Amino acid sequence: MNGTLLEIGPPAAREERSGFEPVVVAIVCNWCTYAGADMAGTTRRAYPPNVRLLRVPCTGRVSPLQVLKAFEQGADGVLVSGCHPGDCHYVHGNLVARRRLAILRALLDFVGLDARRFHVSWVSASEGVRWARVVETVTRAVREAGPLDAWSPRDGEEPVRLPEPPPAPSPPASPEEQEAVGRNLRSLAASLLGEGRVTVFLGYGEATLPGRAVPLLATDLAEASALVWNDRCHSNLAVYLAGPNRVPGKVAVVLKACDARAVIGLQQEGQLRREDLVLVGVRCPGVREEDGRLALKCHACDGEVAAGCDFTVSADGVETGAARSAAPRAVAPDPRDAAIAFLEGLPPARRWAFWREQFDRCLRCYACRAVCPLCYCGTCISEHHRPQWIPASIGPRGNASWNAIRAYHLAGRCAGCDECTRACPARLRLDLLNRRLALEVERRFGYRAGEDPSAAPPLAAFRPEDPQEFVHA
Amino acid sequence: MARIGVFVCHCGENIARTVDVARVAGEARKMPGVAFATDYLYMCSAPGQKLLAEAIAEHGLTGVVVSACSPQLHEPTFRAAAAQAGLNPFLCEMANIREQCSWVHPSREAGTAKACRLVAAAVEKVRHARPLEPAGVPVTRRALVIGGGVAGIRAALDIASAGHEVVLVEKQPSIGGNMARLSETFPTLDCSQCILTPLMVEAARHPNIELLTSAEVEEVGGYVGSFRVRIRRKPAYVKPDLCTACGDCASACPVSVPNEFDRGLSWRKAIYIPFPQAVPATYTLDANSCLNAKQESATGYRVLACERCAEACDRQAIDYDARPEILEREVGAIVAATGYELLPRGSLEEYGYGRYADVVDGLEFERLLSASGPTEGELRRPSDGRPVRDVVFVQCAGSRDPRRGVPYCSRICCMVTAKHALLFKHKVADGRATVFYMDIRAGGKGYEEFVRRVMEEERVLYVRGRASRVVPHDGELVVFGADTLSGQPVQVRADLVVLATAMTPAPGDLAARLRIPTDPHGFFQEAHPKLRPVETLAAGVYVTGAAQAPKDIPDTVAQASAAASKALELLSRTELRREPTTARVREARCMACFECARVCPYKAVAVEEIRDREGKVVRQVAAVRVAMCEGCGACVGACRTGAMDLDGFADEQLFAQIEALARREAA
Repeated sequence: MNGTLLEIGPPAAREERSGFEPVVVAIVCNWCTYAGADMAGTTRRAYPPNVRLLRVPCTGRVSPLQVLKAFEQGADGVLVSGCHPGDCHYVHGNLVARRRLAILRALLDFVGLDARRFHVSWVSASEGVRWARVVETVTRAVREAGPLDAWSPRDGEEPVRLPEPPPAPSPPASPEEQEAVGRNLRSLAASLLGEGRVTVFLGYGEATLPGRAVPLLATDLAEASALVWNDRCHSNLAVYLAGPNRVPGKVAVVLKACDARAVIGLQQEGQLRREDLVLVGVRCPGVREEDGRLALKCHACDGEVAAGCDFTVSADGVETGAARSAAPRAVAPDPRDAAIAFLEGLPPARRWAFWREQFDRCLRCYACRAVCPLCYCGTCISEHHRPQWIPASIGPRGNASWNAIRAYHLAGRCAGCDECTRACPARLRLDLLNRRLALEVERRFGYRAGEDPSAAPPLAAFRPEDPQEFVHA
Repeated sequence: MARIGVFVCHCGENIARTVDVARVAGEARKMPGVAFATDYLYMCSAPGQKLLAEAIAEHGLTGVVVSACSPQLHEPTFRAAAAQAGLNPFLCEMANIREQCSWVHPSREAGTAKACRLVAAAVEKVRHARPLEPAGVPVTRRALVIGGGVAGIRAALDIASAGHEVVLVEKQPSIGGNMARLSETFPTLDCSQCILTPLMVEAARHPNIELLTSAEVEEVGGYVGSFRVRIRRKPAYVKPDLCTACGDCASACPVSVPNEFDRGLSWRKAIYIPFPQAVPATYTLDANSCLNAKQESATGYRVLACERCAEACDRQAIDYDARPEILEREVGAIVAATGYELLPRGSLEEYGYGRYADVVDGLEFERLLSASGPTEGELRRPSDGRPVRDVVFVQCAGSRDPRRGVPYCSRICCMVTAKHALLFKHKVADGRATVFYMDIRAGGKGYEEFVRRVMEEERVLYVRGRASRVVPHDGELVVFGADTLSGQPVQVRADLVVLATAMTPAPGDLAARLRIPTDPHGFFQEAHPKLRPVETLAAGVYVTGAAQAPKDIPDTVAQASAAASKALELLSRTELRREPTTARVREARCMACFECARVCPYKAVAVEEIRDREGKVVRQVAAVRVAMCEGCGACVGACRTGAMDLDGFADEQLFAQIEALARREAA
């Protein structure tokens, strides 16, 4: 027998020679796919043994934590499979799951755990043959993607460099203008506190280092006189309106356009009572980094005060309600989108290399979580021990899981204030993860976070016609 | 400390042929928490179950893993065995190494390796399991039967006669279904009306049966033992208690439309009774064809274009202002008996079905034969009313033909056609009957004899082969086909062509409303063809009759009684033990975003207020209403803080299972 004959042997023989047998964890629903896999058995339809099934009642039970855990524990691929839309034993569990899985898949793909590793399919109880075919396709794809063994940056690997962001589309506000805004804020705070309409005025004060600003809680006129406004007023003060940092009482809060989206998100999720708040919108000229560059989030923002604010404060004075200016700030394309497009233009392996290097630097200090208004959970999922979905110690796998689940939990909720990124001492580009998922949510579900306090959160809703191009046909 | 027993089943040769069961048991012994592992020939057999029980006692096991077939087959078996031995049944799990391993992975090495991983995952699941106690839920001792054909009537009567209330819902104005259309039934040639009408009357009169005609099930909520059903009832526009079915209204009605009951072979008025023996025997005004239907004025007042029926009715039973009713009923069990339809007209183009008036389907031929039919039993052509002398019968018209119709055999057509041919020969003694057939499948009691009799004594010509097409010629039809026994093409002249068209499930989305699966053709899927033939995967929902698969009347009636007895088994209890696999909230972690409530299909998540000593609300948390929770876990998937969990499929269990499954075994 010669070598060429071996080449055209049965597929099994060829695969064994390649030496790599992928491990694929399949999380399947009890009623359709598990029964479909049983059907494949009953009809003796053979398929690759690489797939190992985990039975859950419904794909609605599937959490991204499970998928991340499977990858982290050594799976080279994950398949989630349930009932066809309309056939769910639990009415619509699969339709809710479809949205979650679409977002998870976008996230995994963006970090470079690409479409060859994470699969979704619908297989009914009668589709044994289809199940076998799905397993064959998935196994082939995972085999092609290769072992998922590299979680830390490899020695000698060339780092991925993001393109330089473009210059700011608008000039900085003059010190006089900024001071005028500060003055107007102080007078508004004085009247609100003086009339007893609020017990706390939450704004910005001068930091110990000159030219910087820190949150300031003014409870009387004297404290209110220390309020300032400048382009270093980075903090999203919505973080003090809900969750563990919540400021009690009747609170007036100074909000930039991005901060206001977080307030709407909190209201939507029942985390604050609008009647306890006075929303003070500031017409924002954009905040600047330490080196004076305009923050990336501000390039595409016109700085106008969000609808629903009770006051609009600008250099010109204080107006009641959300008032638009005559000449909004000039805007440019969002430079974060350019960075995302650049990363998506790279092969998955390079994206994975970029994010491995990013995640490797994570110190697990959770500053990102602390400054995020929407991370209001009393105990974060990352701090649960039974079970410990996210490994607590610093390490490449746990870091990846933590950063992935943080981004996933903000999908459809993130206000885009980028405070997580600014607060990160390791300078992880969390803004790109958040922004990528926000774009995915908008593209798929036509939803933008922080606009309508009465809207259903997109990942707790579904439409029967939601796109499902990612599901195995 | 967990002491888990692992039992690896050979399933005769089914598992042991490809999986090295002894090695799997050996590997299991090394797994953390495993105190005992063995392999056995048939775990599900009595000695196998005894082995399990003895090991639990002897080794003080705190959990067991049976590594055998699919849990969908034997999980109840082994959980019951474990419970008998004193173990909480939810501490017993199965590893499916037959359907999902030995039957699909021919390689002994790979199959055994995979079996070890599956066992490891099941051990992990048991290791992290909590004992669960089923909750008791009360049973509403009333049944809903959907469909008033012979299957639904039989099931309703059986349940009602056993002493339980039944709500019988029928879409049409009369019960009776397709069987009411039949002239005679095979193989005894009983008159269909003579068998069915007494049952219809009995159903209508039965004190335990609430008969709702012109009604459809709109929504089914709740769960086994206490379903809440919303029924929409179309108005008849005739007060049933006043109507005496005298027919004066119909005589006065100026509108004629095709009569559905005669499948369009006769005409009826807009106010009509579907057929003389209809139950309930009251007239119905068909709002779609009544002249008044389109007469809504711009001012919102109703304008009547025609009141002739009201004028004709001495008893003033006509009520033009009737509105659809929405009825809510609580029931404990549901029997779905929605019957069948035939392939739609126009589907079998080469036979001119729906195009040529003299190409009819079996039910139309029944109406032509029936003494109460449009021709009063005299066999005349629908096109011109001429007597019929030559008939060609085409079997398998659409059945067993995935290209043009359906892939399955409709099961009744061989007998229906034989019956038709016989009835035809009895009516037209010198007539000529030709049957095109593929095979004769006459598998019932007395069926084969019946077909033989038709072939041999009634001188019906059976031609083995498919008819290829029907063409009109000179006011007649010519059927082209092939006699595959002689290998000759044949042409047969016919006055009438009768197609044994395929049976298809009744259209609609009832299955989705009942949350039961259908097979690829749309028939209701039974839970298991042999073990649970009338049950479905939705507890408390039973299927019967041609809605489950094509079948004849004897089988339908037998299955209807089977479904009724299953429903009775449920209704005989006052309380059900409900699966304890329900969601649970860890209140301390709940942040009250209520995304769980938004995704719950059963509205089983409620807002609970936590109050301080003075009664002031301190905060809100989610709370699961256990009786309404079906255990899907969609809420758990929605919960960011990990406050929700699902008993039986708990986070800790899934976590440990994933660890076991994802792990790559040492090469």
